[in-house]
Amino acid sequence: MTVVDHPAAVLGASFDRDGRLVAADPALAALNARAGGRVGAVFAPPALATVVRLARRLGIVVSRGVTVADEEADIEMWARAQPEGDGVRLAVSGWREVACWAPPRRAGPVAPDAAWRWETDAALRLTLVSPDAGRRHGFDPFALLGRPLTALFDLGSEGDGLLPILSALAGRSALADQPARLRPTGAAVRLSAAVRTDAAGGFGGFLGSVRIVDEEEQAPAPTAPAAGLPAGFSEGLDRALRTPLARIVAHADSINAEAEGPIAADYAGYAADISSAGRHLIGLVDDLVDLQAIERADFLPARDPIDLADVARRAAGLLSVRAANGEVSIERPGFGDAAPATGDFRRTLQIMVNLIGNAVRYSPPGAVVAVAVGHDGDRVVATVADRGKGIAAADQARVFEKFERVDPSEPGGSGLGLYIARRLARAMGGDLSVESAPGEGAVFTLALPGR
Amino acid sequence: MSIVPSFTPPAAAAARAETRARARMGTAVADFFLADDDRLDDQTRATVARVLADAVGALDLAIRRHAARLLGRAGPDDAAERLLRLRDDVTRRLSRPGLLPPELVEEMIARVRQDAIAAALPVAVAGPDEPSLVVRLAAVPDAVVAAAATALLTAENRRQDEGGASGELPAELHHRLAWLVAASLHEMAGHDPAVGRALAEATARSIAAHDEGDRLDAVAMRLAIAIDARGEELPELLADALGDRRLALFVAVLARALGFDHPQGRALVIEPDDERLWLALRALALDRPAIARIALALADADPRRDIEAFADRLDEVAAVSPDAARAALAGLTLPTDFRAAIRALGAA
Repeated sequence: MTVVDHPAAVLGASFDRDGRLVAADPALAALNARAGGRVGAVFAPPALATVVRLARRLGIVVSRGVTVADEEADIEMWARAQPEGDGVRLAVSGWREVACWAPPRRAGPVAPDAAWRWETDAALRLTLVSPDAGRRHGFDPFALLGRPLTALFDLGSEGDGLLPILSALAGRSALADQPARLRPTGAAVRLSAAVRTDAAGGFGGFLGSVRIVDEEEQAPAPTAPAAGLPAGFSEGLDRALRTPLARIVAHADSINAEAEGPIAADYAGYAADISSAGRHLIGLVDDLVDLQAIERADFLPARDPIDLADVARRAAGLLSVRAANGEVSIERPGFGDAAPATGDFRRTLQIMVNLIGNAVRYSPPGAVVAVAVGHDGDRVVATVADRGKGIAAADQARVFEKFERVDPSEPGGSGLGLYIARRLARAMGGDLSVESAPGEGAVFTLALPGR
Repeated sequence: MSIVPSFTPPAAAAARAETRARARMGTAVADFFLADDDRLDDQTRATVARVLADAVGALDLAIRRHAARLLGRAGPDDAAERLLRLRDDVTRRLSRPGLLPPELVEEMIARVRQDAIAAALPVAVAGPDEPSLVVRLAAVPDAVVAAAATALLTAENRRQDEGGASGELPAELHHRLAWLVAASLHEMAGHDPAVGRALAEATARSIAAHDEGDRLDAVAMRLAIAIDARGEELPELLADALGDRRLALFVAVLARALGFDHPQGRALVIEPDDERLWLALRALALDRPAIARIALALADADPRRDIEAFADRLDEVAAVSPDAARAALAGLTLPTDFRAAIRALGAA
């Protein structure tokens, strides 16, 4: 693998009037050679060859971010091709290796609990302020358009005296948790933002969101003690989930790209769906790797109105192929059933997929996994019952512990699913429990506040 | 208002099923022969459906609420309550084939395409610490330009955040849609004459409150007219508008310079293989690199565009003289209604 000393280094290559490589800096020459290219031929990495070809054919500077596959990794870089004399001069910078399964970077603001949005241009002038902000706080958002970001926010520093926004600007990286006050009202807020980059990789503006915070939270709180995740946790999860998912995504992508020859558009579309679902799951894994978030005292999932019956049906649907492969059938709530509850849709789906997935995994062929919804006092419950070998009373508490397994002799699984599921259920004001006897199967019950 | 299910004789039911099946198969056959490039992609289709549902929903809410107030004022009758409680879906009623004017759907498709391309345009930074184009324009000493630029910031803000408000329709289409919504409500309420009168008054009020001058496209056109770019200023203004991701302004500047209206300018820009865009840029004497940069930015934003195919043609495009390009586009500068009449005569 090529080692490039500094991501800020600019590497160059030159091409003749027919787009053939004349000379290249060693790192680029090596990249080209590994892709089967050589001096005197068209550049081999297709994304870079396209940039060079377009610059030559259109006669203008062409700049864009490109990704080049190189052995085990993808390399992201900014490429700029400029017509020069008869030929083209290529310059690449920001050379950065990324694992090829890494999910695409999100373009939008990342805060899931954002109250409203804002955007700026490269000079930090406001180009968007949600009209919602005006209604919520009682100021005229339109009057702020075109004004500096600091006309809307009074930016504060963190405990260490640093302004997160300055680090974000310096590193062209996402802005996270910048403390601020709304100038028009004095309300305490936290800002996060993704960075919009221009074609050459330069800073093109922020795509931001605002989270309203309580006054107590705004005051520098004592840092929560570290949750103490065991070393190697992330690596374990990588092995269990990320790698197979990445393989699914990669294969789905190559089917979608019709790499092996043309296929009907529908199938290419299905492959794209598989790929996007896979990426979604990798996103979920990302959440799990960041288990600290769940273990933090201030972790708060959304409390939205959801239909637990609908969530259960979707979860069952997601697992129907796996169940069919194991010759297990899933009995799911009927389409007429409704179980209005309060919770975080994605997190609840995550819990149900986990429960049904476990049940399918531990069911013998021909068995039925029964998923049902109902009420328990003011709570709404979903139950997942299997006919597997069951869990002894002594083990029933243990399965909800970190890195414990329903059956440690079974392959697969990270031993985190039920632990996370119960944490999530409790964070949503509900609970997750199990009743079982050895040989009789198990019934897992997810309870959520009703509405 | 309940609808009493009526008994349908078996023969009539069979005949109706036959008609329905034939119609459906006819549609399927026609669909099969459509060229893939001419069909709406799923995302556009879904967005158009949402924009339409939003526009209808906003009108439905406004008309229904005001009509209910009028009915409530008129007497103790519970007609107002019944009107508010009607549960049927107006959008679904209006989606019966042939009911909505094609011009309305055309306008919505064009708007959705314009928004999708605008959202995907790559940003080009004007210079270090230099504010973006429209922000700069909002601060110029010329009050007319500054006011129009501020209005554009506001209109873009509204459209981006709310995903296109119903106020975005041209007046004529807004009127027609408002009456169609009123007629649906009238039908749902069982054609009650008192309800009909209240709906008419509420609809007239909604129409009177509609200001088509607030629309993004109209505001962009005002800004283009205020800037009134000429000759050598045009290439830079067009490039800056694209670089600032203000497609509505790009279209407006183009349309203004050519003497087109906004929808005509928009048609050239949103269709991936419309040759007239290149002719238009040549008519404004843009040189080869300027045209290439615009083509590249649009191709980066619109996956339907084929930049390699364009590169094949670039020399040919650049060789067209501005006079020849203007002559080729002359027909487009005639008034819209005149051109529609010419087309109608040709088709008859």
